[in-house]
Order: sequence, then structure tokens, then C-alpha cells
Amino acid sequence: MADEEDNNVSTELDHQAAFIFNPYEDNEQQDARPAKRRKLSKKDTSAKNQGKESVKSSSTGTFVPLFNGAESQRSAALREATFHSAWSGVEARIQHTLREANRNTLDEVSAFVRSAPSQSDKIPAAYIITGPNTASQQLLFDQLADSLQDIAKPAKVVSIRSAEAPNLKATLKKIIRDATSRALDDEDELDIGGVSGHDGDRKYLDYDLDALHAFLKLSGSTRVVVAFQDTEAFDSALLSDLLLLLHSWQDRLRFTLLFGIATSVELFQARLLKSAAQYLYGGQFDVVQASSVLESIFKAGVAHAGCAVRLGPRLLRALVERQREQVVGIQGFVSSLKYAYMCHFYANPLSVLLAEDEEELREVLQPEHLEAIRMLYSFRNNVDFMLEELEDVEYARRMIEDDRYLTKEIFKDDNRFATKDLGTLLKCLILLKSIGLSKRSFVEEYIAAITSGVDLDAYRSSIRQLDPDGVVSLATRVIDAINDGDPELGVEGWSSEAAETVHELEKIILKVKSLLQKCKDNGTVLRSKHSAQSRVLRTTVVAQKVQLSQDSAQLTEEDRAFTGLLKNLENLLGAELSVGGVFRRLFSEAWVYDSKSPDRDVFVPRPGTTVERALVRPHDYLACECCGSADGAAAATLPATSILYHLYMEAGALINVADLWSAYYALVGEDNEEGGGLDEREALVRFYQGLAELKTMGFVKQSKKKADHIAKLKWL
Amino acid sequence: MDVDVEPEEESAPTPTTKRRGRPPKQTVADEDNGTTTTPKSKGRTPVKTPSRPNGVSSIDTPSRRNVADRSARRKSARALIDRVMGDATSDDEERDETIAREIYESSGAEDESGEEEEIDTEAAEEIAAVTDTPSKTPARRKRAARKKSPTPPRDLPPHEQYFYQNKPGLTKTSNNNLSSLDLLTHDEYFTILRKLEQPHAEEIRSLQSLHAESFPQWMFELSQGFSICLYGFGSKRSLLRDFATHLYSRTEDHRQSKIVVVNGYVRTTSTKEILTTIGTAIDPSQKVASANPMTMLHNLQSLLSSHDTTITLVINSIDAQPLRRQAIQSILAQLAAHPQIHLICSADTPDFSLMWDSGLRSSFNFVFHNATTFAPFTAEIDVVDEVHELLGRKARRVGGKEGVTFVLRSLPENAKNLFRLLVTEVLVAMDDGSGASAEGTGVEYRMLYNKAVEEFICSSEMAFRTLLKEFHDHQMITSYKDILGTELLSLPFRKDELEAILEDLMS
Repeated sequence: MADEEDNNVSTELDHQAAFIFNPYEDNEQQDARPAKRRKLSKKDTSAKNQGKESVKSSSTGTFVPLFNGAESQRSAALREATFHSAWSGVEARIQHTLREANRNTLDEVSAFVRSAPSQSDKIPAAYIITGPNTASQQLLFDQLADSLQDIAKPAKVVSIRSAEAPNLKATLKKIIRDATSRALDDEDELDIGGVSGHDGDRKYLDYDLDALHAFLKLSGSTRVVVAFQDTEAFDSALLSDLLLLLHSWQDRLRFTLLFGIATSVELFQARLLKSAAQYLYGGQFDVVQASSVLESIFKAGVAHAGCAVRLGPRLLRALVERQREQVVGIQGFVSSLKYAYMCHFYANPLSVLLAEDEEELREVLQPEHLEAIRMLYSFRNNVDFMLEELEDVEYARRMIEDDRYLTKEIFKDDNRFATKDLGTLLKCLILLKSIGLSKRSFVEEYIAAITSGVDLDAYRSSIRQLDPDGVVSLATRVIDAINDGDPELGVEGWSSEAAETVHELEKIILKVKSLLQKCKDNGTVLRSKHSAQSRVLRTTVVAQKVQLSQDSAQLTEEDRAFTGLLKNLENLLGAELSVGGVFRRLFSEAWVYDSKSPDRDVFVPRPGTTVERALVRPHDYLACECCGSADGAAAATLPATSILYHLYMEAGALINVADLWSAYYALVGEDNEEGGGLDEREALVRFYQGLAELKTMGFVKQSKKKADHIAKLKWL
Repeated sequence: MDVDVEPEEESAPTPTTKRRGRPPKQTVADEDNGTTTTPKSKGRTPVKTPSRPNGVSSIDTPSRRNVADRSARRKSARALIDRVMGDATSDDEERDETIAREIYESSGAEDESGEEEEIDTEAAEEIAAVTDTPSKTPARRKRAARKKSPTPPRDLPPHEQYFYQNKPGLTKTSNNNLSSLDLLTHDEYFTILRKLEQPHAEEIRSLQSLHAESFPQWMFELSQGFSICLYGFGSKRSLLRDFATHLYSRTEDHRQSKIVVVNGYVRTTSTKEILTTIGTAIDPSQKVASANPMTMLHNLQSLLSSHDTTITLVINSIDAQPLRRQAIQSILAQLAAHPQIHLICSADTPDFSLMWDSGLRSSFNFVFHNATTFAPFTAEIDVVDEVHELLGRKARRVGGKEGVTFVLRSLPENAKNLFRLLVTEVLVAMDDGSGASAEGTGVEYRMLYNKAVEEFICSSEMAFRTLLKEFHDHQMITSYKDILGTELLSLPFRKDELEAILEDLMS
């Protein structure tokens, strides 16, 4: 028995609902002291942030040395430090983006709340359509509370979730407590006590809105903002009652209500009593669509130039698909992103190469690192390429044999972070977007780019068919993009690098404009060879050939010049827009993370399949000698639950326990084929265990249809 | 079944006859009733739940019953029992099924296939009704033979399997029961268990040590604000305890980081207890006591933010019955969302994730790990009780003496008297050794009624039945018929329990 001895220690505790875990049980006396220390820390409330800091620092050393333990402690610590610095940057950007994403809604809502008529009979109510994903509401409401704080002063914005409002009394308590207590910083039950001191001897019940009134009267304010986060989940009778009650206070307290609505305002109002609904004076506000938020988050967290780790296309595609198909929410995406970072730094020893501190890294590198690098796919590819294509034998030899040479290669910044290549990739993407011919979203574009690189081929024909105005605006857009970069992606303008391109583009613009002017003077229309061609194709098919030749013959001097300019533009863009598979370059394994499985296992568990497999093929887990031959069939040596599950699968929807028992006993009992079985009582004990476990896992329940029968509940 | 064809009726004989409206069947059934009734019902009586078969057995033998004396007593008894059993789920289906089985048995192997077909497809039935007997039977049998192939189709996907197995008429199980088997008592269970060597102990241990290798990884995940949920077959309690020990040994400052263990499988686990324990862990001198869990949580959170303690919350079996309520889960989720609280839990059922909607999921911020351990659920499950509950022997535990006393306390005086009378009579019968059967010792309904009238417990049969119904509802009595059709009442308790109950009632 694995835990026989442990059981002796903690049998009592095992049957206790909750307890403080202390395996050594000798800190009884010490417990008296910390109380004092804590008082010190309590005073210093700003210590909370430091506390977080200390949590972080205390968690250093949780990384396990890799290379089968050959990795040095320092290297592991460096990986951990790198993780923290890498992730904190990403996280800050993501938080910022999330805040920005809701900015519009926030502004509208607060404008509505501010402009609400003060002497109206109705309660102003903002319906915020949040969409079905309740997970992302928390942040929105936190932000709302922040932005509305100055209106609600001195009371706090109250935010209620359905779970916190079981009945009217509790809801009122919550409203009063939250509106007053946070401002007073007083956590007592009688938190209005301070108020009642000013207000004479009057004591208030904690669900009496009079208390709130008295509290607000001190500062001459009457406004209270209450937000209902998951409105649909509230009991509609409760909401109606609450509205009626709040309305009856309208002359003394001016409530403003915010409703987070997942479905629609109509449905919400239909649920309320008419008498309650008529007191609401509402405005509807839409929250930014999840997909566009996702794109911003994607830019900030995945594609941003500052991201240390790059997620590979397979993982990204899986993540994006999950966003589309399941209600995971932005939070889920961010969690996955974080987990990918964690995995990368925790499990990949080469992630240490991403450390910013070069000196430290130099000291930390050990032979195992170099050996691992030489095993890399990208390394072998690179050496092969050098040997076969460039026939640089010397380079290949030194890379393979000379540690110092390799180290030098590693420490080239461009190799370690691939900054240049990634920068080019992002610039290409920005240009591609500025061209504006792609119908794909940025996310798709990015994934395609990291899979197979970027080139202009897909857009060449559309560029050729541009009309003069299109050319001008396209070129202008491209120049703008080059000048401005994309702050969302952390790419600054690179006009100095691309001065020549900009110059060429400007030249094209000028020429096109002058051509246009000329045509206007001539009274003709400026066309290119390609646009003419397409026009012909569209007219008739029979006369195609004749008209084609006619058309090109009709091209004027200006048209021909324009065609030449188009060609120029195309070539120019083609040269700018070309980037290969960056994610396969040398040492990319150090900064690319593209493994789908841990993410899927960890965030989309399949407990049903797991349990089923454990029961059907225990050997897969136990790897014991006895059960290997069973191969998914019932055998006497399997755990009782597993045998019962095999029988369970063969049975119908209703199972006779007597028959189940006899089948079980026939298999494991004394006179089974292999002999050496259990006697009846022993087998019965096992049988009981198995059956009880099946019941606990919810496979069977009692059936009243027949005596000693159980009903099947799961078909896995 | 034919529920939609036949309106369900209490007056049982009619539907059967109507059903047999088709000439060929009728003859077979009638013949049969004359000859084979007695052995058949004898074979069947011990199997059944006391009352339901009674209704049926009186249904299927119209010829005999027509002859027999149908006294008012019987009729009412049947009505009573039917009413009592009325709350059982899908009774009609059940009844029809029994009818079907009845016919099946009575008409012998010849007709069995035909009967089944009739149940399954009404269309076939209509066609068959037009055609005459000789041509019908073989045709049907052929089709039924295909259906009756001993092995059901293999490798069906789970949902197909579900529909296949829930096909009406397919739930045929034997009538064996566990009466011949002496069920285990707690004592015996534990005595044997102690002697019994656990199979695969070695493998289970190595499996657990395999999981233990991920402890640092789990710690890292917890420190990054993720909660961990371990799932998979087997008890994860000792694994979690090892993890807690590991965590404890890795933390230097035990005042700043505490570990609180919650055992979800303990029946008394409540939010209040969890929150109080966490509160004590943060600061033993302060109490977060309050009646309302939400307020308590609020207090706890503010207490937490004024201390820089980190709490690691270890929850065994987060999907256990006591924790399954939405309210508790949302409190746990709010706890988990607090930056100073780390949560690691285990889940035993395969569909635990249904407990959380997307809001809760995102506050929990779970990462899931497959931690299949195969370890036995020694502390989590009270094996003997669970199995007995599964077998419907629940009364023995939950009811028992205390349960009966509790129920009787809320009943009027004459109900108490009636129960006392019944207990006395059953005890007397036990001493005599008379009336013993598979259902335990019973006393005759009529006799009990007479005695009750004599003792002025009730004046009419109606009142008597009302009293009995109350007992039935609380599963304090069972009733069944013996071979002769005499109605018997019995108590689902052992003799010593009965004596204790009687003692209680007399005092």
C-alpha cells in the first residue's frame, strides 16, 4: 500500500473539510510571533506591490536544470530571469492594448452618464452590449469603474455580479457597503458608524439606503453608479424589485445603472416588469468586436517587434482557430501566449540565448549548449547549405569543430535575435497592408508570412490593373507607411534606410500626375496596357483577338509611359516585399516556439478520453508485466474498476449487478482459467471498490426499474 | 414501447386484452395462461421490487383472475401500491416492458421473435395485422434473428452506442439478483481489505513518482498565476499531499506562504469552513466569520490585501458532491483570481469541466494536467456505503433507526402507533419464523388492518392507507405479494434495528 504509512499520519486530516497544511507540525509556537511582524507590514500598505516583487524573486530557482541535469544552476536561473523580462514586456503591451481597445466604449458611456438629466423621473441606464463572452467583462467593468469614479465621488462605483446578489437584501448590502466602505477604508460591519457619528446617534441597518444617503449628504453629492456585470444571470424578479426600490429613492439619491448585456436589450427589457422597465432611461453601447481586439492583442503580443519569443505558425493557427470556434475569449488567448513563453523558457535549454546580458550568457554557456546547437535542424541545414551551395568547407568545418568560432557566430546579434530578418518581415507586412490589396486579416497575413515568407506574386496582376489614381494613392500610402512604421507593431519609420525606394516612389507619383495632366489636356483617358486588355476581355469573347490588337495599337504615348511606370512600381514593390522563411534560419530554435501539444493538453483537456483509456488499457499507464497481454480486453489481472468498465461497455443501458458480479467473479475468482484467483469475499471487496469508483466517477447510478440494477450514464 | 398505442391505464386487464386483439396471439396467450402460470410467477416473485410486479402479474393472468375473488381489498391495495410507485421514473415504459416480457415468456420461443418485432416497429405490426398467421410468423422471425445476434455491433461511436443501447425493448436483463450473496459489512470489508494485497502497488507508486517529477513545473505554473487542475483516473490525494510537502519544503518563509488543504469529498465541506480556514491561515488572530459567504469572501480579500501572505490552496476532488454547487465554485474562482492565492486541485469525474462557464474558467485560469494515478480512493469514497446506495439498500444507512425516529417525530400520534404495531408484528413473525421470504419477514396487510382497527389507530381502510403511504414515501416499509397473492407488508430493517426502533417507540 503506497500510502499506508502516510495514512497513519493524516487519516484525521483526510476527513477534515479544510486545514492548514504543515507536514512537520512543530511551528505551533512560532505562530505567535508572526502576528507582530504582520502588524508592521500592515501599516505599510504600499508593501503590497513590493510583496508581489518578492513573490517573483522568491520564485527564482524554480527552473530545473536541463540536459539531464547537466545544465548549470546559473544557466537555469538566467533562463528564468530572461523569461520574466521577456514576458513582462509582452504583458505590459497587452494590458495597454486591452485598455485602449475599450477606450471608445468607455468614452461614450461616461459621456452618457455625465449628460444624463439630473432632474428626471427616470433612472439613467447604460446598456453595454458585451457579447457572449463573460470572461472578458471583468476588465471592461474595472475600467468603467475607473473612468466613472470622478462622477460617483465620494462614493465608489459599485459593480455587482449575479453570484453576489442572491436576494434584495444582500444586493442592497453589497451596494451600500461597496459604495461607502472603500472610500472610508473601513471594513467593519458597521461601516456607516463613522457617518452616524456626524449624523447624530442614528444607527442604520446595513441594507438601509438611508445610510448611503447620509453618507453622500456629507459631501453634498447624490450620485451612485451601480454596474450589473452579467445582467442575464440576475433573477429578473430581483432586478425588477431593485429597480422599483431605487426609483423610489430617486428624489434623494440619483442612481445611474450600467448593465452588461450578452444578448440584446430587447430580451433584457422583456424580462423586467413593465412597471420597472418604464423607469429606465437607457442608452445602448457596443463593445469592440472580439475579433478586432484579438487582432490588436495579436499585434501587441505575437507580432510586435519587441517580442523575444516568436510563436510558430502551427501553434498560432491552432490558437486562432480556437478563438474562432470556441468561446475562449481574449483572456484565453493571452493565457495560451503566456504558457507558450513559459514552456519555451522552462523546457528549452537554448532559450538562454535570448538573455540580454551578454556577459552573463558568455559565462553561462557550457559544452552541452554547443553540442545541442550542433544538433539543431537549422544548424545542420545551414552547414549543408554552406557546403553544397557555396562550397564553403572552411566555414562548415569550423562551425562543427571549433567551439570558439561557433560561440562567435552565436553572439552575433543578428543570429541570436534575428532582429534584422524579423524587422524585414514586419516591414514587409506593413507594406503589404499599406498596398491594401489583400483581403486577409493581419493575423492570417502574419501566419502566412511566417510559414512561407512574403512576396508580391499574389498581387502583381492587381497592381498592373491599377488606374492612375490608384497608383498615386497606393504609392502615397506606401511612402506613408515607410515614414511612419506601425506603432502597434513597434516598428518605427524606416525612411532613412529606404530612402531610395521612397525617392523612386515619389518619382512615380510625379510622373503619373504629369501624365494625367497631359491626358486631361488632350481629353483622353490615361490607360495602361493591362487595363485595356482586361476591358477587352470583358466585352466579347468571340472578337477577342481582333479587339486585343486594336486596343494595344490604340495605346497612346502617355499610356505606354504609364504602363512603364506601372512596371517600375511593380518591380519596386516586388524588391521591397520579399522575405523568406525567417523562422527556419540559423539558431531559430532558440527563439521560435511552435509546439501545439502542451498548449492543447493544458488548455483543452480531454478528461473523458483520458479516463476511458486508463480504464480500457491500464497497461498504457501502469506498464506492468501482467496486463500487457490483455491489449484492451478484460483480463483477470487488471484493476477491478477496469474489469468492471470492460463489462460495463458490453452491457446495455440497464445493468444487473448480480450478473455483473458473477461475470466479474468468473473472471477473477478461484476457478478462473488461469487459476490462483481470489476467494469470493476478497473478490467481492474488489468488486465493491470498482463499483464505488465507477459510481463516484459518474458512470452508473441507482436504477429503480428493477431490484439490484444500475443504470448506465456514460458512453465515452 | 407501445405507450403511444395504448393509453396507459391502471385497470390493467383491459389493455392487455385489447393488445391481444389480433387473433393468433390471443390464442397462444390464453392457452398459456391456463397451463403455465404458477411455475412462472413462482420463478419471478423473488426478483422484483415488491409492488410493481404485483400490478403486472395480476395483469397478465386474466383467466385466473376472472375466476378468483377480486375483493375490494385487493383492488385498493393495488391502487395504493400503484400510487406509491407512481413517483418512480418512467413507470409506464417499465410496465409495458414487463408486459412484453410476460408475453414473451408465456408465448414461448415460438412467438418471441414476433413479439419483439411488434414492439420495435409499429409499421411492421400493421402489415402483420393484415396478413394471416402462417405467413407472418416466419417472416418476422427472420428479421428478428438478425436483430437478436448475440453480439451488438462493435465499434460504434459513443453516441450511436447510446442510441443503440437505449432503444426501447432492448434493455433486457436477467432476473438474477443478489439475494443469495451476503453483502459486505463495513467490518468485513476493512478486515479483508487489510489482508488483501493491492495489485500493481509497485506500478502505482512509480506512476506517482513520475508525476512527482513535474512538481517544479507545477510550482512554476502556480507562481505565474495559473491554477492547476489534475484530472485522470485514480485518487490524486496522496499526489497532492506530496506536492504540498514538496512546496512546503521549498519555501523558506513559512509565515509568508501558507498551504491550505481542502478535502472536497468530505461531506461537511462548506464555503464557510474553507474561508474560515484560509482566514486563520492569513492571520490566526482575526476572524472573518460572517453568515453570508459573499461578505465573508469580501472580508477575506481585504484581510489578504493587508497582509503579504501567499496562500496555496490545495483542493482534493473539486468536483466532489459537496463542492459542485455553482455558488461554491464561483467563490473558489474568485479566490483563485486573487494574486496572493494559488490554487491547485484535483478532479475525479471525467466531465468535471462542465462545472465552469467561461467566466469562471477565466477567473480560475486553469492549466490542466493529466495525472492518472490508479491509486485507490481510500479516503474519498466510503466504498460499502456507496455500493449499498447504488443497490438501493440505502435505507439501511440513511434511514436506520435515527431516520425512522426522525420521520415519526413529524407524523401524528396514530401513525406512530401504527408503526409500532407493525414493528411488533414483524418481530413476532420473525420469532415464529413465519412469513420469511426473500423480502424479509412480512405480515399480512389484512391482519395488520384489523389489528389497527382494533386498537383504534384508524377507523377506515382509507385512513389506514394514508398512513401506510407516508411510510412508503420514506421507504420505511415495503410491500409485496406472496405466491398466493396475499398482500404482505414488511420492514427493510434488520432484527436488531427493529428492536431498537421498537424500544425507541415504546419509551
